[in-house]
Amino acid sequence: MDRIDRRTFLKATTAAGGAIVAAPVLFDGWLTFAGTERAGYFEKEFGITDSLCKKVLAKALSKGGDFADLYFEHTISNSLGLEDKKVDRASTSVNLGVGIRTVKGDQVGFGFTQELTEKSMIAAAAMAATIADGSATAVSGKFAAVKTDNYYPLTGTKPAPLTPRLSLVENTAGKCFARSNYIIKTIARFGDGRKRIMVVTSDGAKAEDLLPGSALSAMVTVEKDGRKEQFWFSRGGRRDFSYFTDDIAREVAEGVVDGAVTLLDAVVPPAGEMPVVFAPGTPGFLLHEAVGHGFEADFNRKKTSIYSTMMGQKVAEPMVTVVDDGTWPGARGSINFDDEGTPSQKTVLVENGILKSYLHDRISAKHYGLSSTGNGRRESYAHYPIPRMRNTYILPGPNKPQEIIESVKKGIYIQDVSNGQVNIGQGDFAFYVSRGRLIENGKLGALIKDVNIMGGGPKLLRDITMVADDLKLSWTGVHSCGKDGQWVPIDAGMPTMLVRSLTVGGTKKQGA
Amino acid sequence: MNKQMYDLCKWVLDTVSKAGAKDSRVGLSKSRLVEIQYRDKKPEIIKQATTLQMGIDLFVAGRYSSQNTCDLRKDALKEFISDAVSTTKLIAEDPYRTLPDPKYYKGRADIDLKIADASIDELSAEQEHTIVKAVEGAAWSAGGEKVVTVEAWFNDELSESVTLTSNGFSGDTRSTNFSAGASVSVRDDDDRRPIAYDYVDCHFHKKLGNPEVIGANAARKAMAKLGAKKIATATLPVIIENRNTHRIIGGFFDALDGRNIYRKQSFLADKMGQKIGSDKFVLVDDPFIPEGQGSWLYDGDGFAAKKRTIVEAGVLKDFYIEWYYSRKLGCEPTSGSTGNMVIPPGSRSVDEIIKDLGKGILVTDFLGGNSNPTTGDFSVGIFGQFFDGGKIVHPVSEMNIADNHLKFWHKLSECANDPWLYSDWRTPSMVFSDVVVSGV
Repeated sequence: MDRIDRRTFLKATTAAGGAIVAAPVLFDGWLTFAGTERAGYFEKEFGITDSLCKKVLAKALSKGGDFADLYFEHTISNSLGLEDKKVDRASTSVNLGVGIRTVKGDQVGFGFTQELTEKSMIAAAAMAATIADGSATAVSGKFAAVKTDNYYPLTGTKPAPLTPRLSLVENTAGKCFARSNYIIKTIARFGDGRKRIMVVTSDGAKAEDLLPGSALSAMVTVEKDGRKEQFWFSRGGRRDFSYFTDDIAREVAEGVVDGAVTLLDAVVPPAGEMPVVFAPGTPGFLLHEAVGHGFEADFNRKKTSIYSTMMGQKVAEPMVTVVDDGTWPGARGSINFDDEGTPSQKTVLVENGILKSYLHDRISAKHYGLSSTGNGRRESYAHYPIPRMRNTYILPGPNKPQEIIESVKKGIYIQDVSNGQVNIGQGDFAFYVSRGRLIENGKLGALIKDVNIMGGGPKLLRDITMVADDLKLSWTGVHSCGKDGQWVPIDAGMPTMLVRSLTVGGTKKQGA
Repeated sequence: MNKQMYDLCKWVLDTVSKAGAKDSRVGLSKSRLVEIQYRDKKPEIIKQATTLQMGIDLFVAGRYSSQNTCDLRKDALKEFISDAVSTTKLIAEDPYRTLPDPKYYKGRADIDLKIADASIDELSAEQEHTIVKAVEGAAWSAGGEKVVTVEAWFNDELSESVTLTSNGFSGDTRSTNFSAGASVSVRDDDDRRPIAYDYVDCHFHKKLGNPEVIGANAARKAMAKLGAKKIATATLPVIIENRNTHRIIGGFFDALDGRNIYRKQSFLADKMGQKIGSDKFVLVDDPFIPEGQGSWLYDGDGFAAKKRTIVEAGVLKDFYIEWYYSRKLGCEPTSGSTGNMVIPPGSRSVDEIIKDLGKGILVTDFLGGNSNPTTGDFSVGIFGQFFDGGKIVHPVSEMNIADNHLKFWHKLSECANDPWLYSDWRTPSMVFSDVVVSGV
């Protein structure tokens, strides 16, 4: 295996000096990229020409392999934080580099460098090439631009400066304090980032994009009669600052304060199996975790997913259609193309109860003899792409929300979930419910909180017996999904939905 | 100390000062990693790269910001710093934001923590592949025809860091880490495919031990999950296996954090000196353990490391208070960083304890769950083994335990004699009595 010499690497990195033209950034108190054009950035600012890409790709395929790709990234992220009623902390993060991958069947060789010089890229490509051991594979002579729609257009060429962002955070915190006398602490944060990427493949594709992402969030702690509770709420997505109007600040303040105050009267529900009704929106993250991961094609290609033998089979009732959608305008999980250069799409996973598709990257697509579904995603240039979800949700069904709640004699209603995990092979999942209600005789009853619910993913799908017509995405703007040590932005949603039975992990037995 | 890294940090300190910042802290980390992963007896992933990351804390006219970049070209850095200083001037003043009093930098231990293996560069690619193949081969052999697939890996990493502050702190670290492991997927009679893993993490290549043991253990753990089912909701004794106790303790730990205490999000804020657990609950933070995964000589503020008792015989003795929140709370700082978290082992093995308890659940894995630092309520999914009559009866899955930390730690009745040494959580298996386990 070729190794990058560490001392040489450090020297080159720290002493490159003016060898590369500094990328243009705007500074108006807020560090970000100038311009909103999607194409031409890396060539203009870093001298990454097609001929240089071809040279690096040729090195990556110098020992053979099916294909190779280059993933250039330059990301600038900023955040402002408020504690004690004033914005007293700021942060900026800059990430720059290129990942180089060689693929041979289902084998991957991968190297990356933070220095966009020919010498460093060739060294990383040589590392990636070690996965193969044959004769060289040819690289396409020309790179054709990948054309796609833009699912997150920016509203202006010049981003807003720092001052209105400071006002937004202070305004949100002020609205929080004005809404309840029980508040003893408010923390508010606004963060946004812009990521420029360019994917160049050995088979002739070149895809360039500018991906925005931003979110306004708040957390409050409330106290009443010696009892304390906390709650968190946010709004955001692939948006620019124009999205964050006074109405959004109000929505965040009302969401976080009302959530916290209601918890002051909440109880931990009894333990055991019971029917569960999911509210629309945020509980969609449970769907992502419990069901979505099992549909990622790498787990099925490796036969570790319980769904690997179920393609074409009935996995749910006919009113259930599950999609993974990279095209929802402004949603956090939307992408114009994936990190392999494949255009985004709305992929139907389960159609009227029948399993129709997995989520594919290029490797799994080739394995199954299909086209990629545009789900090859990665956290950054320091990671190789794997199948990942985008915005995952269930399509609206025939029922009304109220009739679903009225159909349950004794169960729980889940309004907010915070985090979860799935065991892909067994299909088991667990999800943490931060807020909900008991359902008694068809009516919403006592408030509940801080309870884990568990079940089997395939059984959950089979046990969905009612789906309402009120689909919502979460629009939290902050959720990311972790897999194999990589985090990628996603969103999820669902309509109101009834699951016949799940295990609720309370602290008492039912009836005790 | 890596002179090139030191020189760059020093240059940044000077540049920051010239740009108008009164004080600053500069940290530069460098990591070279190798990852080799096998599946189905061939390499699946080969990855190698070096990363550099710089963090700069700016203290400008009573204001604060933190900056991170990997674009270390001096021209780019100079512009980055200039912009960052300008941004910092625009946010609100915070009188509590300063570099620490340098007196806390003093007293740093002059010892070798034995966390860097000088032979890391002598390990050849062939040797690395041989380790992975041995892990994978043993897993296939031990799992037999029930095995669906095996993923085996070997990683090594060389990490270096340099930290300088404008008020005199200077520190550097160099460490190596080696990891070998396997995850094994097996097919159950109902086509469910439970996965289990085993691994070793250590600072020295030779401490990896026999790679075949790792592979065989992973297969044995996966086979032990076959036939899992849930039992009726019950109140039972629960044994949490050594390597997983941190999932429960982590929720307790959040409430020890000075930031959460200041934000009124800690159920332990008013419990100092009080009994918050049984006499068996002892927790010591020891950053000086040779070869420890959590060993260090100075923390993120530059404070000299100290061995501290956090909980003694169930009584809360200390918090984690970093410099900034100590000033906001008006108390003496301790440290915001954890070292090796040690819960002293007991005298009996898990097998002996199971025989003695008769009936209960041995928790071998957690799934999902969370803990509320404000209230102490937690709820978490579990996998494990149901035992009855002092013997393992069958594996359990899709079950849950829930409690409140202020009650749960009073239920700690015994620690086993099996401390887990491959993590900064050096904890033995722990026995809790009368836990509600949710199932059917």
